[in-house]
Amino acid sequence: MKDVAVVGGGPSGLAAAVRLAEKGFDVAVIEVMGELGGMLEQCIHDGFGTKVFGETLSGPEFAERFVKKAYSLGIQVFLNTYVKQVKAGGRVKEIVAVSPSGVQRLETRAIVYAIGCRERNGFEIRLGGTRPAGVYTAGMVQRLVNLYGVLPGRRILIMGGGDVGMIVARHLQLEGAESILIVFPEAGFAGLPRNVQQCVLDFGIPFKPRTVVKRVIGKERVEGVVLTRVDEKWNPIEGTEEFYACDTVILALGLVPYTGELKLGVRIDPATRGPEVNEFFETSVEGVFAVGNLVQVFDYVDDAVETACIAARGVEKYLNGGLKTSPVRLAPSGKVRMIVPQRVEWVDEENVVAFLRPAVEKSNARIELRSSGGKVLERFFRRYVRPSTLERIEVSRSVFSGQREVETDIADG
Amino acid sequence: MFSLESKVASVLKKHPYNISFRIRDNIVFLEGEVESHSEWVEIGLSVGRIKGVEGVVNKIRWKGSGREVEKEEWRRRVFEEKRSTVVGEYDVVIIGGGVVGAALARELSKYELKVALIEKSTDIAAGTTKANNGMIHAGVEPPRGTLKRRLNVKGNAMYGRLAEELGFRFNRVGSLWLITPRTLAAYRKYLPGPLYSLVLKHVLPLVVKIKGLINGVRGIRVLKGSRIFELEPFATRDAVAAVFIPSTGVVDPYEVAVALAENAEANGVEIHLATEAVGFIKENDAVKGVVTNKGVFLCRYVVNSAGLYADEVAALAGAEEYTIHPRKGVLLVFHRDTGVFTRHCLAEIILPQDPYTKGGGINPTVHGNVLWGPTAVEVPDKEDTSVSREEIELVLNKYSPIIPGFPSDRLIRFFAGVRAATFTEDFVIRPAKWVRNLLHVAGIQSPGLAASPAIAEYALEKLREMGLRLRPKAGFNPRRRPMVAAASMSLEELDEKTRMNPAWGRIVCTCEFVSEAEVLEAVRRGAKTLDAVKRRTRAGMGECQGSFCTLEIALILSRETGLPLNQLLKEEGRLFNGHVRGEHV
Repeated sequence: MKDVAVVGGGPSGLAAAVRLAEKGFDVAVIEVMGELGGMLEQCIHDGFGTKVFGETLSGPEFAERFVKKAYSLGIQVFLNTYVKQVKAGGRVKEIVAVSPSGVQRLETRAIVYAIGCRERNGFEIRLGGTRPAGVYTAGMVQRLVNLYGVLPGRRILIMGGGDVGMIVARHLQLEGAESILIVFPEAGFAGLPRNVQQCVLDFGIPFKPRTVVKRVIGKERVEGVVLTRVDEKWNPIEGTEEFYACDTVILALGLVPYTGELKLGVRIDPATRGPEVNEFFETSVEGVFAVGNLVQVFDYVDDAVETACIAARGVEKYLNGGLKTSPVRLAPSGKVRMIVPQRVEWVDEENVVAFLRPAVEKSNARIELRSSGGKVLERFFRRYVRPSTLERIEVSRSVFSGQREVETDIADG
Repeated sequence: MFSLESKVASVLKKHPYNISFRIRDNIVFLEGEVESHSEWVEIGLSVGRIKGVEGVVNKIRWKGSGREVEKEEWRRRVFEEKRSTVVGEYDVVIIGGGVVGAALARELSKYELKVALIEKSTDIAAGTTKANNGMIHAGVEPPRGTLKRRLNVKGNAMYGRLAEELGFRFNRVGSLWLITPRTLAAYRKYLPGPLYSLVLKHVLPLVVKIKGLINGVRGIRVLKGSRIFELEPFATRDAVAAVFIPSTGVVDPYEVAVALAENAEANGVEIHLATEAVGFIKENDAVKGVVTNKGVFLCRYVVNSAGLYADEVAALAGAEEYTIHPRKGVLLVFHRDTGVFTRHCLAEIILPQDPYTKGGGINPTVHGNVLWGPTAVEVPDKEDTSVSREEIELVLNKYSPIIPGFPSDRLIRFFAGVRAATFTEDFVIRPAKWVRNLLHVAGIQSPGLAASPAIAEYALEKLREMGLRLRPKAGFNPRRRPMVAAASMSLEELDEKTRMNPAWGRIVCTCEFVSEAEVLEAVRRGAKTLDAVKRRTRAGMGECQGSFCTLEIALILSRETGLPLNQLLKEEGRLFNGHVRGEHV
């Protein structure tokens, strides 16, 4: 029997596994692909590791540090192995996994899920028109170009002004795409400011804000799209339709926690679309933890890795019989779109690390934690908050004592 | 008695256009000019409804209609290039590899005949068949006097055995037609007070039942009150009565077509994909050869089961007896986890039927997904499989009241197919009037999938009447080895298989739990494109809609076929279209 089974060998899973192995636990990592590293393997641009390592690395370099560490600590790694079933009801949990060597059963005392996120596809936004060859999600394109050296097409339209869309645009520009246009319904790019500068502006890649694809045109292969302008509420403005010729439509529509692959009835938070977790990233099923982009999609891998490190402490407490009290709900409200963790319940001394996504753009903002009676329990000053940047706060334990629910909000500074 | 001429003339007089016509052997040829495509459809249909009309060739132009000059040019060029390259000599050449062509191919493979099936696409079932909702209708709906009606009930009854022989999934789930206060709302004013509920509860269900009985559908029951919800727990509590039709079934339409084609091939039929008829070599009133982009298929008999293109194929052969008016149907696909909400093919009777959604409903699939739709919209373009947001909303609004608790946010995909309807709105299965050895199997619209086994038998009988000699083949094997799916195995079975072949344990599509071994088997059976693999294995049909597995499948296809990644096809178009790094530009 293992102490801990980590499902998912990307950066968050590896970080959790490494931390736990360093604490002396017997850890296994189960990865469905043929190698460790997860999505970072295809992210050959730089900008990873500024918080964790204090330097800026490419995705594979960042992953490599954890991969090496994992192997040097003797963590057992199952590659090409897919978790088919999980029984997590009791203290001893059972994982049934399928791999080229057969169906295996693994008993473990705790499970850390780190299976990341998936891309939103065209059907989720009800992208109209036909469904020819030439429509891809951005991550698939990244993988195709970076790992296999093949370009998806020549004339590119990218839907979505988030980080992934911008990074893919820069990449295709460097690889010699004939034309690129980025469109998005917001007034400005939704991704990190550094990416707007480094990926789009520096390369002079054209973009159209307040613009969406009304329909895809093409029978065998994409022949173009019909673009339409939208108003502030993203409603199409009549008379603004125009044809744009392209052979490729890349969907950079954002990422969603990949909860479809969780084989247990954990509670899902509709705001994050990931599992609800406590301050040690334990799901609603005892001894089952969820970390990284599975919990909510992070802007920086460094933050995702931090959740894994926090969870590792939680696993340690769980395995050592740590104590819980009655849970305090941590809830978003008003100007906060979502917050993780959703509850605080362990008996512990250390501050609670929380990540929240503002629903508003505001300078000189105060992130406030309030009791259900409206009393401000703690506040954090920020020069500038915006929806595209996730905020990390460290909340004193004392804030939660005696409360049943703590609300977060953003007020003027 | 009025002559056919005078009947057609009087129907055309009702339209405000100067439409000229001529009639040859009960086929009406229309010419003229109208404003819109919908008028083109309407006039065609009004002529098609005239008793005695056996076909409408609608050459009326509308504003925006045009000849497909490029296509005609291409056909002429290929015809000249290929007319003297002989592919082979056949007793029968079937043009069109949809479910009907495949069913007939399999039927013919029971006899000592040399048969070729040619299909213009890169796979079997790539046209109308693949976009069908998979329903095997019981046969209550087709009107009296139609061929549809004769062949629907018979075809339905043949499915059980066919499924067993060919190893495709077939669930006789039954259908449940709900009657609610909405059902006759349009007639409310004629049915005052308690009369309305009396008609709803007692008269209408009985009328439906009797209609079914007349059509030969057995086992129909009328249900009331809680009996309805015992059968279908999530059905709307508005239902005051329901008609239960036990013989309705569901299949996976491409699994059926592929199974038929595979079995036909195993029994000696040649299947030629990416092979498109561009013209015919004729001698007097007989076809001697079908000219295709691959060369000439010399033949004694030709079957035109070209679906949406049957009118064009017929015209190329000098057998133009009908025009196809494409009718699009939009379908919504919901995640497998919604399967618990629907046990039967579920519909609400609303009279009069909405012309844009008639015939649709909520259908379970053999895989656990649920389908809503289809719509029914006349479109000018045979390949208009587009779906708009408005169409999605239309379907959602229409069917949401039937299952109020259904999680319609679990919509994972939508698609559209185009039905190959003729203006007589019935199957056209008969020898060509002016070509001695050509059999039309055209106008196969709903319930074509349900009827297809019976269509094949009926078409075979027609070929026999046309003089085709049928000597049973001694070695005919009716059975096909089914595709085995990891998803339907027990863990013990999967373990055992994996220990013999590790590819079973490599899961390439996690959403649908598809192993590499299944992909390899699909390729071994002839799948050459991403979509062909998808239809055979379900890889890419789950929640992520292929964003993870597309590349995995492409890599396997590339390895197995020897084609580089950037030359693989999705269906007919290049999956990846760009240059390869290093091979610049």
